[in-house]
Amino acid sequence: MSTDSRYEADPLVVDNVNRILSDTCTPEAIEHAEQTGWASTIWDPMAQAGFPWVGVPESIGGSGGSFADTAAILRAVGRHAAPIPVGETGVLAAWTLGAAGLEIPNGPATAACPWPEVIRVDNGRVIGMATVAWAQVAQRIVTIAAHDDGSFEVVSVTPDQVAITAGTNLAGEPRDIVTFDIALDATEHAPSPPGWSPFRLLEVGAFTRTQMAAGALARIADMTVDYTLNRQQFGKPVASFQLVQRHLMAVAQCSVRATMAADTALRALTDFQRVDTALTVARVVIDEAIAEGTRSAHQAHGAMGVTREYPLHQFTRRLWAWQHEYGSTAMWRRHLGRAAYANGADGLFPFIAG
Amino acid sequence: MRAEVRQFLATTLPKGSFFPGLGMNAPVDKSFSAKLAAQGWLGMTLPTQYGGGGRSAVDRYIVVEELLRWGAPVGHHWVADRQSGPVINKFGTEAQKQRFLPAICRGELAFCIGMSEPNSGSDLASVTTRATQNDNGDWVLNGRKIWTTGAHHCHWMLALCRTTPINDTADKRAGLSQFIVDLTSPGLTATPIPFIDGTAEFCDVTFDDVVVPAELVLGEIGQGWAQNTSELSYERGGPDRWLSSYMVLEELIRSTQGNPINDELADLIGSAVANFWVLHYLSLSVARTIDLGGAPATESALVKEMGTRFEQDLVTAVLGYIDHEPNTSNQSLFEQLLISSTLNAPSFTTRGGTNEILTSVASKALRGVSR
Repeated sequence: MSTDSRYEADPLVVDNVNRILSDTCTPEAIEHAEQTGWASTIWDPMAQAGFPWVGVPESIGGSGGSFADTAAILRAVGRHAAPIPVGETGVLAAWTLGAAGLEIPNGPATAACPWPEVIRVDNGRVIGMATVAWAQVAQRIVTIAAHDDGSFEVVSVTPDQVAITAGTNLAGEPRDIVTFDIALDATEHAPSPPGWSPFRLLEVGAFTRTQMAAGALARIADMTVDYTLNRQQFGKPVASFQLVQRHLMAVAQCSVRATMAADTALRALTDFQRVDTALTVARVVIDEAIAEGTRSAHQAHGAMGVTREYPLHQFTRRLWAWQHEYGSTAMWRRHLGRAAYANGADGLFPFIAG
Repeated sequence: MRAEVRQFLATTLPKGSFFPGLGMNAPVDKSFSAKLAAQGWLGMTLPTQYGGGGRSAVDRYIVVEELLRWGAPVGHHWVADRQSGPVINKFGTEAQKQRFLPAICRGELAFCIGMSEPNSGSDLASVTTRATQNDNGDWVLNGRKIWTTGAHHCHWMLALCRTTPINDTADKRAGLSQFIVDLTSPGLTATPIPFIDGTAEFCDVTFDDVVVPAELVLGEIGQGWAQNTSELSYERGGPDRWLSSYMVLEELIRSTQGNPINDELADLIGSAVANFWVLHYLSLSVARTIDLGGAPATESALVKEMGTRFEQDLVTAVLGYIDHEPNTSNQSLFEQLLISSTLNAPSFTTRGGTNEILTSVASKALRGVSR
């Protein structure tokens, strides 16, 4: 949407990540990950290329690169339904750890986002509970705990230091209930750097989901065109029927909207301007696009789309899961509505268009 | 740029001093159009040698977006500024450009769109209004155009007519031509058609041996379809396709301001603001593409189709939120706008190409079908 290079990913990064994921994210590999909880055939080449840590400054232990590179990698993760914790390892865990001066592990990591529940430091113990993506396979679980005085502490634990109840999301990816009840001194911890709060963690997590969802929606739009051009009924491709074209239109519109929303979130983060508003808008737009886009994609695919062997479900199940991760649809929509309302009637359009 | 337009509107047209229009449905106000012209905000993208601003489509976009969201009375110059001017600039002769463009940029000339006919709506290529050449080389028009907004007070029409009979050509899109028609011509009658809300802007226009001088053929004889497609890309994809009911939301907020916001209202506003935000950027991206020399017909169709549906959805959401029956005796601006937008909403998704035909246009591109 802009020719400004700050918002554009390095083409080499885009090519490489898409090549690796095209090669490794076969339907069998994704299915295998769902059965076993992990996909080393997908994670290992991504980690060797340093992709999970792109966007985390080299000065704090990341791979460097721009937010635009991070966004492109996350969109590729969505586009290929890659069942790996790229966003969790990099922008959530590594970024927070690096900013706090704590050690960044060289394997998968994740973050416990304390929202809406609070994880607190109480009498020298870290206490609380959160649903955490990929907790079972993470080398480190990071969280931001609240002190009584309102300050925050970045806390890093290993999975064996917390109680983990295994669970999965709609796509069969690990989403585990993690219970913290551990002495602060037994963890790696440091005071939160300025600006790092539980809500910031939530926003960063929401950012990962906007980019991943934009990638997955673009993919199902392509799949829907391909399928309806190939599938013949009444002696012609079903795409030639106007009632089916409505679905092609709807899923294309959802993809275009999601990409534009993801772009605006990326711009806001790059410029560090109106980050909260842009991220919130992006989540609301994308959550609506997920609802409409997945419905149309499935309708156009008919019975084939709801079978396990046809891969549409690998994308739609992830989209349905992602819209409730790092803040629910309702939470973000109301957050946005209240912020716009607070700006007043005369401030409404400036709130929208700047 | 945006701040300048806001300052101008706050001074020239303070809120409360006028009844705001619903986007491009706004009233006609020649003196307001003249004031915009004095600012250099009409014909912004037209070349400076014809009185235009020589500005980018993005600059024009910002001005138009601010005017529409303010409910400014843009009715007089709207069609001329949005599409007739740019189309004359693109396909017109030097003489036509000198004759029409400076007057459009001054806000003097109002144009209307002569596309639809009683039997040609979505199937626009089936138009039957006939143009035949007489012995002087001039063209004689016979037929009927309909749903022509403002034909009874505009000055000129860009009319799509058939110059080769439909039976003589296998492809009905061939044999069409565009004419610049003087609406005061003998034999031309424009009759308003009362609209659903009691207003009368739509017209039925009949041509009974209307003579159009040869020098007012627009572009090439027989190239009318291609030219008209180009004209439609100016007509679609702009902020007028998603701002029609914007004022309703602004006034809803004003009418409840000061009260704590409940979840239901937060949901309504949150969803609307997110949609406005993304449509704003999508429309802006269409303008950028035009600046880069592209003709984003597919993108425009995608944006117009979802933008106009959103305009309707917003009215539906507000109607679902209020807890009383709208009453015309209620003088609050919110109530008046809600009534007006409820009655106008069905037209949002039909004018300028129905959502069905937009779906057909866009899906051809999605399926890789050449047009």
